[in-house]
Amino acid sequence: MSVVSQIRPPLRKPRTKGRPAHTAAMLVAPFAVFFVAMYLAPLGFAIYRSLFVLKRDGLGLSAPTMVFDPFTNYLKAFSDPVFIESLGRVLLFGVVQVPVMLGLATALALLIDSRSARAKGFFRLTSFLPYAVPGVIAALMWSFLYSGSSSPINALLEPLGVVIPFLSEDMVLWSVANIVTWGWTGYNMIIIYSALQSIPGEILEAAKIDGASAWKIAWNIKIPMVRPALILTTVFSIIGTAQLYNEPKVLQSVSGGSIDSAFTPIMAAQAATAAQNYPYAAATSVILAVLVGILSITFFKITNRGSDS
Amino acid sequence: MNSFKRWGIATAGTLAAALALTACGGGSGTPTQSSSPAAASSSAASPAELTFWGWAPGYSDSVKAFNASQSDIVVKFEEIQPGSRGGYEKMLNAVQAGNAACLGQVGYETLTSFAAQGALEDVSQFANANQSEYVDFAWNSVKVGDAVYGAPVDTGPMALFYNKELFEKYDVEVPTTWVEYKAAAEKLQAADAKIKISSPYANYDYAGLSWQAGAPWFNIEGDSWKVSVDSDENKKVADYWQSLVDADTIASAPMYDPAWFKGLGDGSIATLVGAVWQAGVIKGDAADGKGKWAVAPMPQWDAANPSVGNVGGSATAVLKGCETPEAAWKFANYLSTDADSYGNLIEKGALYPAAKALLELPQLTNEDAYFSNQKIFDVFKEEALRVNPEWTWGPNMPLTTTKLDDGLNKSWAGNGKMADALTEANTATVENMTSQGINVTD
Repeated sequence: MSVVSQIRPPLRKPRTKGRPAHTAAMLVAPFAVFFVAMYLAPLGFAIYRSLFVLKRDGLGLSAPTMVFDPFTNYLKAFSDPVFIESLGRVLLFGVVQVPVMLGLATALALLIDSRSARAKGFFRLTSFLPYAVPGVIAALMWSFLYSGSSSPINALLEPLGVVIPFLSEDMVLWSVANIVTWGWTGYNMIIIYSALQSIPGEILEAAKIDGASAWKIAWNIKIPMVRPALILTTVFSIIGTAQLYNEPKVLQSVSGGSIDSAFTPIMAAQAATAAQNYPYAAATSVILAVLVGILSITFFKITNRGSDS
Repeated sequence: MNSFKRWGIATAGTLAAALALTACGGGSGTPTQSSSPAAASSSAASPAELTFWGWAPGYSDSVKAFNASQSDIVVKFEEIQPGSRGGYEKMLNAVQAGNAACLGQVGYETLTSFAAQGALEDVSQFANANQSEYVDFAWNSVKVGDAVYGAPVDTGPMALFYNKELFEKYDVEVPTTWVEYKAAAEKLQAADAKIKISSPYANYDYAGLSWQAGAPWFNIEGDSWKVSVDSDENKKVADYWQSLVDADTIASAPMYDPAWFKGLGDGSIATLVGAVWQAGVIKGDAADGKGKWAVAPMPQWDAANPSVGNVGGSATAVLKGCETPEAAWKFANYLSTDADSYGNLIEKGALYPAAKALLELPQLTNEDAYFSNQKIFDVFKEEALRVNPEWTWGPNMPLTTTKLDDGLNKSWAGNGKMADALTEANTATVENMTSQGINVTD
């Protein structure tokens, strides 16, 4: 689910001597090497592998041969109900969870940014803290809160005659959404909050003098001015949703079958890898990447068109 | 703003560290060399050198003992991650890259899948001479067709682990047949609705139940496979457990989950039908059950013809590309059959021998305080001799068990029928095999 790379190229002391172009190349080189080795090369290899199919004969008790057959894996993926279902599931997830999370993040950022807010540092830190918990650990913690036999939430509700079936087939997707929202709202809030910080004070001052209420300022000035940050966080969230894996994978063992091996596209690809079918796993991954690319670009296009008019 | 910046940098640093930690946790570990080869004696010919990848506790001691016992072969042991946590991947990748060790620890259920990747070396020409030293079904587990891929080290004969205290408290007889087992489930349930007879079984733990019932999943017939995950015999097993689910006598906690260990300890899960090594698992993680649990023979379908299933156990397999297969076999055979070295393996790793002669080892007569001083290996010794020899693993077990678990887990939770789970796993397995060109007969 991590969408922002934490890697920074090593800092070097600026060199005053030598040609600038040379220096630039030196500075870019570490990034370029990592980008090619860690991103382009695996991507190219995945595309290449997806064009082959495994062939065996007899009992299949010797190493399979790879036969070039560029369409088979892709046709199989598009006619594989399990894979299509997993795509539909994350789409539904994204349509609901991303607006909820970003709405919450924006509201939090506006609250902390408002003039009358107290203890800003404390609230900033606490709402960001869940993000500092690694995804798998967070999911483990939530699996304990959800799981039928150990859930303290249901233990509290039991006297009232209420039991929430967090892991039932109908609810499990939203239980996962809750974990993701819990973990990522603070992260998005920080991005939006820093955008709010860059709004010039004069504009806000002028609005105040004109008699605009805090609500009006937030809705008509602040939100439009942090639009780029909102677009950025939306695109990050779309990508993150497509890569949904940690949370459902951890919940799988306690879900009583509600989360199967192909709950999300990444889980389906991982299952294909475990079954030694690398070419098929590569094909589904390529399809997912292309779909996310199309979705993100479409989103950029739509929001940009709005700002031009 | 300054405080915010500083705070931001500090947080970023914490995050980077946390990410790095999680990243490390997921990766496969680097092998650590646990023993150095003993000094080779000054014999004329230089000794054959070979490397062995494994993870079972005590293997490094066995390697040292082997190196000290003779001068023709020097084995180097490298401890790797357990198979399912990256060890198997390492072996398969190394075979592809041509730099694999000569020997690797490979579970029986994975051995055929390894063969299907062309990752193993047939050593039948050296090995067949030793066949009679091993328990029959264990020998079958390292054989695919006529090829022998290694030496069986340990086995997992099954038995019934039961909470003796509960059974005595509610005056329930220890079941000897599956019919009695169901009656016991209902009796315990009637006494206290919180008591469940057992918990959901998945993949290889479930396979042990089919194994016992003479309901194989795979068979090789001539030049093609027969897939029978949804055979009538298998449906009989599935329907039996389905009836226990329908009677609400199965706990919801999946095996190896903290909730499962809690249930084993506090008396809400009354039995576990499992392999010998489960003794170590429950002793370690359900410590509250100490003094309450006991072991009895596995309940039978037909009391007149007792049969037992097997879960787990592994072989010392010869990996493809090994240049000294004969020396490799010699060591593998030593590891499985040498009494002194194996005694240590029982003490350190609770392995249960696959070699017949070792079933008499003194380490297998110890009383166990966890099981109220019962000599539990006496039960397993009887069970080991009854393990059904007719069992073959398929060429792609990860696929089969993944599909099976998808369905079984739903059924154990009360959504869907187990018989349907078998059919789905069967269909997916056959589809996968035929699409790759493997022969499958109906």
